[in-house]
Amino acid sequence: MDEVINRSSTIARELKTGSGAEVGMQVLKESQSSGTVGDIYVDDPRMTCRNVNVYYGDKQAIFDIDLDIAKHQVISMIGPSGCGKSTFLRCLNRMNDTIDICKVTGQIKMEGQDIYDGGLDVVPLRASVGMVFQKPNPFPKSIYDNIGYGPRIHGLNDNKDHLDEIVETSLKKAGLWEEVKDRLDHPGTGLSGGQQQRLCIARAIAVSPEVILMDEPCSALDPIATAKIEELIDELRENYTIAIVTHAMQQAARVSQRTAYFHLGKLIEVGETDQIFTAPRHRLTEDYITGRFG
Amino acid sequence: MNKQQQQQHERSMSRVEKGLARRYRQERNFKRLGLGAILMGLLFVSFLFISIFANGYTAFQQTFVKLDVFYDPEVIAPVGETDPDVLSAGHYGGLVKATMRELFPSVTNRRDKKKLYGLISTGAAFQIRERVMQDPSVIGQRESIWVPADDDVDMLIKGHIDLSLPESDRRIKDDQLSWIQGMQEDGRVEKRFNTTFFAAGDSREPELSGIKGAAVGSFFTLLICLAISFPVGVAAAVYLEEVAPKNRWTDLIEVNINNLAAVPSIVFGLLGLAVFINFFGLPRSVPLVGGLVLALMTLPTIIIASRVALKSVPPSIREAALGVGASPMQTITHHVLPLALPGMLTGTIIGMAQALGETAPLLMIGMVAFIVDIPGGAMDPSAVLPVQIYLWADSPERAFVERTSAAIMVLLVFLISMNLLAVWLRKKFERRW
Repeated sequence: MDEVINRSSTIARELKTGSGAEVGMQVLKESQSSGTVGDIYVDDPRMTCRNVNVYYGDKQAIFDIDLDIAKHQVISMIGPSGCGKSTFLRCLNRMNDTIDICKVTGQIKMEGQDIYDGGLDVVPLRASVGMVFQKPNPFPKSIYDNIGYGPRIHGLNDNKDHLDEIVETSLKKAGLWEEVKDRLDHPGTGLSGGQQQRLCIARAIAVSPEVILMDEPCSALDPIATAKIEELIDELRENYTIAIVTHAMQQAARVSQRTAYFHLGKLIEVGETDQIFTAPRHRLTEDYITGRFG
Repeated sequence: MNKQQQQQHERSMSRVEKGLARRYRQERNFKRLGLGAILMGLLFVSFLFISIFANGYTAFQQTFVKLDVFYDPEVIAPVGETDPDVLSAGHYGGLVKATMRELFPSVTNRRDKKKLYGLISTGAAFQIRERVMQDPSVIGQRESIWVPADDDVDMLIKGHIDLSLPESDRRIKDDQLSWIQGMQEDGRVEKRFNTTFFAAGDSREPELSGIKGAAVGSFFTLLICLAISFPVGVAAAVYLEEVAPKNRWTDLIEVNINNLAAVPSIVFGLLGLAVFINFFGLPRSVPLVGGLVLALMTLPTIIIASRVALKSVPPSIREAALGVGASPMQTITHHVLPLALPGMLTGTIIGMAQALGETAPLLMIGMVAFIVDIPGGAMDPSAVLPVQIYLWADSPERAFVERTSAAIMVLLVFLISMNLLAVWLRKKFERRW
């Protein structure tokens, strides 16, 4: 991973001597007609998105995105503020439904089932596509109840012992068990920021989802807590498919296998993380990862 | 830094310093203004409390007179009689009069006798009857009992009657004064704690009147009011805040709710009169109708407070619940409502306190009637505390002045304890996130 960063910074140094923003704008104009650079398709995807457009009232936030999300992989979505990466992420579990004026068109399929199909219930969808938010948001309840809430409402546990087991395994998977096992009845809000975020990850895991969406999960955390979460994301890849939105490019480079670069509501480039950070094919991607804007 | 820059800097600093004194002066004046406002408020509040207390504390005591009553078998019933019907039919007023005549044998004139009997409350006869009904074996015996004095005597003992006035301007005449002094010398006059005030309903006689009927009426009224306005208010707030689409109709509803909160309360009284009494034919003066009217009046307050409480629940909690797959209903009932509840309760209690002190709408539905009985339920005619205060304040007897203040004290105690309850609930259930 360090190698990747080193290489990308080398490119940055090289590019500093290059041409200015006019070129960037030129490329931007071209890209509007040309579509996404890179390989949007994967073999045996977990989720497939085709022609996804998102509108907030009259304003279009996302334009014609095609993207596959591969199984047991971490895909990171990067891009400058307001580029639509969070909006796109929130389409994947229909979290955008809560915003009245938000309208999504196109097709997002999970295991062949269109999640925007009128007949599909969002409750099971959100159970299989869990979400971790930017700011840790544990319920103002005990640690145990934070984890147990999801399984309880979905009726996943057979009895009290089973629920105990789910809580324990979820906390273990989130790497929090050792720290909180003696105080499961303490409020979840009393934990430190990093612990709270891991609690939220454990809460998402507890309903055994297939996909976990993470919306800038480390932006409110210090470097040590961030490192722990990143470590955790790498471990979770084994069992879950993870899509993460991040502002920190180093983080994308460290935790993800694939990276998608968004710009002004469009998916500019997608590819293997190594490739994106070492040899970006699109000018905008290159400008962004080298720190020319963003 | 070159010279020009240096000069520029010095110039601006000298200006800043010049202005500094003015800024601090303004700040001090602002502070003084605020402090003055608070002090003035405190002054008025303390004036209110002091005047009410000074006027009313004497009402918690009542003058009693000791009478040596002979339970005359000829007046009541033969010795050994136990039939309650016969016992209650006895002429007990005569017993009191006979006792007074015995006490002052020198009074023979019919007019003077009448003045003499006037020293004792009419309640004394009832008290003696109670005693005999309870224990018929006292018939034929003599016993000393303490009976309430008439309110004029009470006022005299408490020093509210100005004896320097000419006799014709006084409620207590000169000969009455001498009889009272005589009884005082005998140790027959005593001020005692006024249990009647807390145990009886209203009465035309100040010394027999009490606050209990009004307090019980207020209790039933508020109970009805709470039972209707809290669930309806919370349900309306949850619907408007969480479920309803945001469009022109909900805007219109919101504007109307805000308008209703500002409608004068007497209008709600007229509404209640038209709807509950004239249209639905419910009886007048009953806590049920009073509660319904006050519920209409309190609903906007509760809805507005509940909506504010719901709005203050951070969206991250909703997202968290939705994110693990809770349905919108589960999100509301499991997470949003429990967090909003302290705020809702506070709003409700403040609304209830407002309803407790409300008089005008209740006048419109006949709760201003003179009702002696203590209500046994929400369908019995009754008074409420603020209306009782209004009625007493309107009464001519001097003794009702102190009772008015005492009733205000009781009402204030209820109001303050309700507000304290609201504060306590908020502190207890408030959660941080």
